Amino acid sequence: MIAPDPDIPPADAALAQRMTQAAPGTDTEAEAELCRRLAPRVRLYGLRHLGNEAAAADLMQQVMLTMIERLRAGALREPERLASFVFGICRMAVLDLRRGQARRHRLLEVYGEALAPPEAPPPPDLDHTRLAHCLERLPERERTVLLLTFYDDTCAETLARELGLSPVNVRVIRHRGLERLRACLTGEPR
Amino acid sequence: MNGQSCRSPLGWETLIAYWLGELDPAAEKRVEEHYFGCNPCSQRLEQLETLARGVRAVARRSGVDMVVNDQFVSRVREQGLRVREYRVPPDGAVNCTVAPEDDLVVGRLEAPLAGVKRLDMLTVDGNGNIRARQSDIPFVAENGAVVFAPGIARLRALPATVFRLRLLAVDGEGERVLGDYTFDHTPYSSQSPQ
Repeated sequence: MIAPDPDIPPADAALAQRMTQAAPGTDTEAEAELCRRLAPRVRLYGLRHLGNEAAAADLMQQVMLTMIERLRAGALREPERLASFVFGICRMAVLDLRRGQARRHRLLEVYGEALAPPEAPPPPDLDHTRLAHCLERLPERERTVLLLTFYDDTCAETLARELGLSPVNVRVIRHRGLERLRACLTGEPR
Repeated sequence: MNGQSCRSPLGWETLIAYWLGELDPAAEKRVEEHYFGCNPCSQRLEQLETLARGVRAVARRSGVDMVVNDQFVSRVREQGLRVREYRVPPDGAVNCTVAPEDDLVVGRLEAPLAGVKRLDMLTVDGNGNIRARQSDIPFVAENGAVVFAPGIARLRALPATVFRLRLLAVDGEGERVLGDYTFDHTPYSSQSPQ
């Protein structure tokens, strides 16, 4: 069972509070920091639901623009609810992106560069030579399952059918392989 | 939460299931609500995404030896990548190479796999010495073949070489050779075998 974390998100909420208390558009430092913290989460949501990096980047920009616009307008009454506020924007934005680009273009026309969020940091990357070395050290079955899983983000049910295994077995092999791979990459003993 | 700890962190298995779309809509929404408000969990999800992207990149450039399957080969082809494929019967031999434009080279090792419980693959050099053993490789008996894709960079670096793969069925009673597969590799030239 997954529960929302009951803690109040202090850093995000404090930044949101700073923005809502300042005159609109004056606390650009808080805006930039909030974007820096939240943009990667929006990118992940975008990758998961839109399936590619370009669409996720579009989503990130649209959500950050909308968030800043609404925070400047005082639309968030309870800063501790920032996460669900942004999540809501994100879900709507995915629907928007699927419908078209109209709202994003309108926002950009109205606010232009004044509202443009700072460039999000590039997503982290791995040393592929080291990753290949770690993959080679995996037992064959784990390597195959990881490669086939992530080549095309294939779920356990599908992969199980393709490999003549049970879905539970695929999940176990996948989990074990990932643990070994992470340990190899970080140098941690398993 | 946004500190450095989380009271109810999302486990790796949950994050993987989320990433691969295995959760039902309600569980998926709970995961999303959680990581939107949780720095440590969103960072772990980002680590998973980075790892997944890295593994995909290694697979796409055929960076490691891989035992794959027909569906994988089809997906590679659908993405416009070039696949060179050699089909080898048990105890058969094939002349082979890798062209500059090839993205993936696969050897389809045909074998009688019905009833096989565990399958091992050996790499044997020209003198008959065993160089490597890959234990318990995945296979689907009905397919009647193992699809092996050697790392393409290593393949490109090979001089003219003969090497052999051997498939072994392993069970409680011992080992049984299912077939030897000889690859007579030559570096690419315009006269190389297709």
